[in-house]
Amino acid sequence: MANLRTYEVMFIINPDTSNEDVERIVGSLRDITTSLGGSIVKEDLMGRRQLAYPIEKKREGIYVLFEIDGSGKEIAELERRMRVTEEVMRYISVRVDEDRKAAEKISKNRERKSSRRGFNAKAQDESVGQDV
Amino acid sequence: MARNFDDNTDRNDDPEDSGQRMDFKFGGAQRQRRRRRTRRTVPDYIDWKDVDFLRQFVPERGKIMPRRISGVTANAQRRIARAIKRARNMALLPFTTD
Repeated sequence: MANLRTYEVMFIINPDTSNEDVERIVGSLRDITTSLGGSIVKEDLMGRRQLAYPIEKKREGIYVLFEIDGSGKEIAELERRMRVTEEVMRYISVRVDEDRKAAEKISKNRERKSSRRGFNAKAQDESVGQDV
Repeated sequence: MARNFDDNTDRNDDPEDSGQRMDFKFGGAQRQRRRRRTRRTVPDYIDWKDVDFLRQFVPERGKIMPRRISGVTANAQRRIARAIKRARNMALLPFTTD
């Protein structure tokens, strides 16, 4: 695929949902993703977690995290499905490939810079003196 | 290293070295720009799911710590703010607490 993107999709399921229903919801979302050409890189059932503030009068929720490689089409469909699924109280999808790439670049630049600094420290000190 | 400390216009291209200097416009002849506190280093990738890290920038009240207090670069502050807002949406962090 020409432009493969990476997304993180997280959603919160109503804590009153039975385990089987949680499995069913997660499973159906997984199927949607793969049927539209996305691949699930990581699937993390984070379990029950205290909410920082009440949502739908609930104080906790079941957190699930997907990491998905795909074109973006499957994300659109996933979001649509989560919106109409009542048990999903909240969801978010974040595109992460660009930010990760940017972070990598920063790390690399820093490495290069620090090695150069050691070598050229004297020359740089002199140039600093000149701008006074 | 001789430096003209009153010169505000000197550009420094090192992104790590921007900001966090204070201009003391009052007082004696010998003034120095001084950092109020040491610059804080921040990971290159700021994860919106990393609640423990983000909490450092969210004091008691739940507000995002301003840059003059957090002591990070402008770029890092923007990325942190974005991450905090994402985390808030997912109830990982509070909008307010009172």
